[in-house]
Amino acid sequence: MEIDRTDGRTANQLRPLACSRNVLYRAHGSASWSQGDTKVLAAVYGPKAGTKKNENPEKASIEVIWKPKTGQIGKVEKEYEMLLRRTLQSICVLTINPNTTTSVIVQVVNDDGALLPCAINAACAALVDAGIPLKNLAVAICCCVAESGYVILDPTKHEEEKMKAFVHLVFPNSVKAVLPEESLCVNSEPWEHGILTSVTRGVMSVDDYLYCLERGRAAAAKLSDFLRRSLLSELLSDSTKAA
Amino acid sequence: MATKASASPSTYSPSTRRRKQERPNIKDPDWVRSDGRGFHQCRPAFLRTGAVNAAAGSAYAEFGNTKVIVSVFGPRESKKAMMYSDIGRLNCNISYTTFATSIRGQGSDHKEYSSMLHKALEGAIILESFPKTTVDVFALVLESGGSDLPVVISCASLALADAGIMMYDLVAAVSVSCLGTNLIIDPVLEEESYQDGSLMITFMPSRNEVTQMTITGEWSTQKIHEAMELCLDACSKLRTIMSSCLKEAAFASNE
Amino acid sequence: MGPSSSSADLSAEMEVDAFRRLFPLQFYERHLLESIRPDGRTHQQARDTTLALGAVASADGSALAKIGCTTMLAAIKMEVMTPTTDLPDEGNLTIEFHMPPICSPIVRPGKPADIAAVISKELSDTILSSGMINLKELSLVSGKTAWMAYLDIYCLDADGALFDAALLSAVAAFSHLQIPVVSVNDEGKVFIVSEEDKAGKPGNEPVNIDKRKLVLSNIPYSLTCLLHKNYILADPTAEEESIMETSLTVVLNSSRQLVSLYKPGGPVLAYTSALQDCVAMTMQRVKELQKILNEAISDMEVV
Repeated sequence: MEIDRTDGRTANQLRPLACSRNVLYRAHGSASWSQGDTKVLAAVYGPKAGTKKNENPEKASIEVIWKPKTGQIGKVEKEYEMLLRRTLQSICVLTINPNTTTSVIVQVVNDDGALLPCAINAACAALVDAGIPLKNLAVAICCCVAESGYVILDPTKHEEEKMKAFVHLVFPNSVKAVLPEESLCVNSEPWEHGILTSVTRGVMSVDDYLYCLERGRAAAAKLSDFLRRSLLSELLSDSTKAA
Repeated sequence: MATKASASPSTYSPSTRRRKQERPNIKDPDWVRSDGRGFHQCRPAFLRTGAVNAAAGSAYAEFGNTKVIVSVFGPRESKKAMMYSDIGRLNCNISYTTFATSIRGQGSDHKEYSSMLHKALEGAIILESFPKTTVDVFALVLESGGSDLPVVISCASLALADAGIMMYDLVAAVSVSCLGTNLIIDPVLEEESYQDGSLMITFMPSRNEVTQMTITGEWSTQKIHEAMELCLDACSKLRTIMSSCLKEAAFASNE
Repeated sequence: MGPSSSSADLSAEMEVDAFRRLFPLQFYERHLLESIRPDGRTHQQARDTTLALGAVASADGSALAKIGCTTMLAAIKMEVMTPTTDLPDEGNLTIEFHMPPICSPIVRPGKPADIAAVISKELSDTILSSGMINLKELSLVSGKTAWMAYLDIYCLDADGALFDAALLSAVAAFSHLQIPVVSVNDEGKVFIVSEEDKAGKPGNEPVNIDKRKLVLSNIPYSLTCLLHKNYILADPTAEEESIMETSLTVVLNSSRQLVSLYKPGGPVLAYTSALQDCVAMTMQRVKELQKILNEAISDMEVV
């Protein structure tokens, strides 16, 4: 069974992506990321000296501040902050700058569905822009499950409300390496198929989830290609300017 | 009820149709306490140490419907902003659960009780034994059934002992309410609501020292004497229950 | 942290407690190699779990849940509200998770722990989206009055797997919930009907005499696992959580549907095989928890 999407997309089709880096002058690194009408701005400051109490001074720590479009932060934003922090912490090389804190400030410009994935993508691009040492990139995707078990990707806000369940998934970017492919496999699964972060809402069957996973992985590969391309092109333009 | 998030509507808890309970005629010679106790009879006390595993020491106390947990942390590093100190610091906090009272509360800290708990314990703890550091005493009132503060104080001193903090003696606390000509010990919530005056003593029986005494309301000198005698006597009895509780715990851990 | 070879040398001459504190990761890995955990459990084994219903006398429904040392006290208070105009036949539910300073050395008074807000949000999302409670059952008079159930969960002792224990206590508190019998007067105000009122006066007939218990369908149960290298450790303690950072929480309902699969980052990636193992372990755990809950309910009925 097919579902007609109001914007005429196919189920697997993502909204137009846009990413620009170095959009803020004062921040050490910044990026804006948009998926259709959802747009998030991320700024990175740091690494600054010192870690918070109760944090490990032998490692770098990441602090995330979420700024909603309007109003004050509540529980939802607190959860987003925690998810972002833990996701970013797992892609950063924390041992390089021990006893420092890197602040990531996420400003929601517009929310039209798939907000958290969009913010993760933006934050990841901003970390690259700030030159924070990373193990790999992270790409995030939102899958929605309809009553009939039909899955659509990258929903708009309107679609999110109609669906019975959704899954936010974050994967590492697909690897371009000279190593033989088998060496990048974990338990006969490609390395980039491992889940960094998973958040779900709503009741679904386990098979639905596994199906989302499969679709999410395919989309993540496309997203990570886009991220790589946009980061590369700007790197090239940066280096020509410098020359 | 304070409104919570802007989206949630205002709510109230339904009451019974009966009018407000009137103050019983305490001059009536037949008046008995709602739980059938004698005027000078305390509620049965249940005490247990080691209620919270995550804390350095802890205790649970249940006096009738009053149920409290006290955790002790430390001695640990003082706050960064604190100046150097030759003697240790004591930090106390009492909070209530939202369901502690019959009307749902906000579950906030009780500032006044927190500072009274501090005053009551300060004199009993050998602060010289942990210079530069802080001992935190945190209490949570799970259910409020009257005489909350004395129960918390007795429970806190038991938790301090469980944490191995050096003290001159255990602190036992008991309060007395004055209702007309009667003195009733260890009042419940209902009795506290129509009392004329209240007196609380926190006492170290083996040193025969009072660490804190508070009096509110109208008292005659003779009544104060009478009430103090009552309290001191009850404190000594409570002290024996508390020490037997500690002995049991020590005995059990040795087995 | 020193390289593992030096810690291995040290382990021969150091006391166990000192080794545990200085090289916690090595200490755990040595145990995991032997398929055992320092507290004597196997990798897949959850800690002893107990439930006591009706722990709070002043609440309409309450439960005390213990998983190992982690202790949660949940209580429900029923209050009356006016339903919103778009949902006139529904009551509502407010879920709050508290971590008072008594529960853990990391919580200080006046500064609520961030994790408390996160768990609070997770709990209300899980309970509301699981469909366990039909909000229509909380309606009293359509469009006029409805119940607002305030569920407050207090963590009394924090020793890992907080979400699991909190969810269990919440579910148990709902199964213990006894809604007070009420009547509505002409102005629409709600009063509790006491025993003697029932027989006596007419005019204030109770409106909800047959709706005192909520029907709970599709009850959610959860299991948190830690992922570390290729190991999966069920129901971690606070010490294990602090050493091995990747956690994965699976929530399944009684008809084996997935309610939530929550993995907030962490250095270890979850692959399909590990996911399926976690789901299988949760299925097992659901059976255990169902048994514990049913026993607690039948114990209550006997008393």
